[in-house]
Amino acid sequence: MTILARLEQWKEQGAISPEQHAHLASLSREGPFPLFLELNILLYAGVLTFVAGLGWTVSTWSQQIGDVLILAALSAILAACFWYCFSRATAWSPTEVPAPSPIFDYVLYLGSLVWCVELAYLEKRFHLLSGQWDLYLLASAGLFFILAYRFDNRFVLSLALSSLAGWFGLTISGWPSHGDADYRQYALLYSLIVGIGGTVSQRRGLKPHFFGTYLNIAANVLFWALLSGVFNPQDYGLWFLGLLIGCGASLAWGLTRRQFVFVAYAAVYGYVGVSSILLRNIPDPTAVLAYFVVTGVMMLVALVLVARRFGRSA
Amino acid sequence: MRLYSASSEETLRARQLLKEWRDDGFLTEVQYERLEKETVSDLRTTNLFLRLALFFFTLISVAASAGLWFAVFVSRPSQQTTGAFLLIFAVACYAAAEVAGSRLRLYRYGIEEALTVCSVAFLCAGMQAAFFSSILYSPHPDASQFLVPAAGAVFSLWIWHRFGLWYAFPAAMIFLIFLPNYSSFSHAAQHLTVAVFYASGLLCVAVARSRHHFDYLEKVYSLAEAFLWFGIYLAINLQISSLDLPARQWGGNRIASQFGRPFYWTTWVLIWCLPPLVLARGVRQKNRPVIAAGLIVAVLTLISNKPYLGWPRHTWDPMLLGVLLTGVAVFVRRWLDRGLGRQRNGYTAERLSGKDEHSIGTASAVFGLITPSSITPVAQTNNQGVRFGGGSSGGGGASSEF
Repeated sequence: MTILARLEQWKEQGAISPEQHAHLASLSREGPFPLFLELNILLYAGVLTFVAGLGWTVSTWSQQIGDVLILAALSAILAACFWYCFSRATAWSPTEVPAPSPIFDYVLYLGSLVWCVELAYLEKRFHLLSGQWDLYLLASAGLFFILAYRFDNRFVLSLALSSLAGWFGLTISGWPSHGDADYRQYALLYSLIVGIGGTVSQRRGLKPHFFGTYLNIAANVLFWALLSGVFNPQDYGLWFLGLLIGCGASLAWGLTRRQFVFVAYAAVYGYVGVSSILLRNIPDPTAVLAYFVVTGVMMLVALVLVARRFGRSA
Repeated sequence: MRLYSASSEETLRARQLLKEWRDDGFLTEVQYERLEKETVSDLRTTNLFLRLALFFFTLISVAASAGLWFAVFVSRPSQQTTGAFLLIFAVACYAAAEVAGSRLRLYRYGIEEALTVCSVAFLCAGMQAAFFSSILYSPHPDASQFLVPAAGAVFSLWIWHRFGLWYAFPAAMIFLIFLPNYSSFSHAAQHLTVAVFYASGLLCVAVARSRHHFDYLEKVYSLAEAFLWFGIYLAINLQISSLDLPARQWGGNRIASQFGRPFYWTTWVLIWCLPPLVLARGVRQKNRPVIAAGLIVAVLTLISNKPYLGWPRHTWDPMLLGVLLTGVAVFVRRWLDRGLGRQRNGYTAERLSGKDEHSIGTASAVFGLITPSSITPVAQTNNQGVRFGGGSSGGGGASSEF
């Protein structure tokens, strides 16, 4: 029975009103066809290709065009974008607010990306901070966080989080002696800051819909850091313990909140970590293959049980 | 012929639509609970993330099982023996997928999907090893070797039809690309052959789709049609489908010399004719995947036009393209908004479903993280190793490499 036949049947049974029937049948048939998604993708692609071309042009022709003209053009685009956003924005609200116009989010995103291009150009040409790129990234992250919260924009929130990650990475790379351990510790610190920041923001009712973005980024960075520690030939015990705790927490969170991406994180990251510990002293390829057969089937059984108990989609 | 009955799939579709309508406020919670009881399907489904995890672990288990078999039971096998065993594995995997689908009623569950993928891989590897191992590295491939991609294409198509797995269709199309390589055809004839294969497929799919308006198969055929249009375009766009990368990037003259001039310029005309044709068909039929294919091929035409003509690329070309894309989006939106009831010809720029908003929210979070590093040069770091951060991933797009 097709959905149209079902709707007809439900109308006759009185389960839905004639108005609902008309509306739902129109949606499933020849009703208004929304191009919302396509137009948004076009806008996003347009902004990205424009900024890519802008960066390419500026980097290629800086000598010929001249610093003044380039900086004036970049500043004009930046000012126009931010003027548009600040002049069109509705009053700030801690909850989710719709964009005041269809192109609003993309203008803000364009402004944020042009800001990055301009900063990069300034540093390259004038060495204002003597190569201390980490400070640019930290400042950019701060600006993007403010813009993301002011205008309720997840594109810019992601830019802020990636700028913050870049700041951590660049800071360490500037140290005279740095190694994997430094990166790992700072990755842990980053995931902790992002996780706590997202939680505080959500608890205080500040754009609680951003929480998912924070949590996913924090979880992935945390697991990558823990895994890189587990892969160490020595002193991996604490990292392994951390990985087990992280997987347990991720699993519990995913099951209680019905966010199954965290169940998948726990399963995959946990499996990789445990396998690397168990297999590191086994030289026999047959034993390794047998391990993958047995544990693969065990994981399948466990996941099927989880899926049957919690994870039906429809 | 299909593994799942039409009524089971229609019931699942109805259940999914009910959920969307409840989330969008078109149904009350009470109505949803009542109607949900009428849409109970016998098929076992799971959510996307568990499906991906189940797919991953099934692949590991199957690949390790095959490896273990060779390690334990077969010592130093010949290519023919290896091939024979791989073919047996292909049969076993396919049989297991059938059982998972028909007996256990697994539907888009990851397990049966991974088993079908493994069966296609084992079939092709097995055929190659069993029948053509002696000429594997020969500079002159045997024409009969076309049987390997042909079998892959046919088997993928069968899996697409039997299991309804959308990605089996493009897999079959990819196998088809390799078929003309085993012939003595010229480059132009090879491109033409692939385009003719896809065009024949398009005819079949268009006829089949016309019989499935408003049912669960409409989406399946729409997607297949979009892939076929895209495939035809790629086959005739010599700048994109040619494997000569440097020539493709920096000038059309070298590619033009590989093909006859009439053929080369005919394909140039065709790459301009095809996007409006695809878009018009998609718009006329309100076929979302075909509209998407039309938009993509239109952008690809704009990108590949200069190399086709042998004109030099300019650094500001992407800027112009960006302005054009944004301009088109804004113009279409405004044009639709000015229509009666903010609609024109049954199209609207408004969001009618929360699903679209959710998709954009998720995509914005993901792409916002990825894109800064891909559109701007990589930041300068002292450390060459792959590390956390390092400024090479993200960094808000800021870079020290100007």
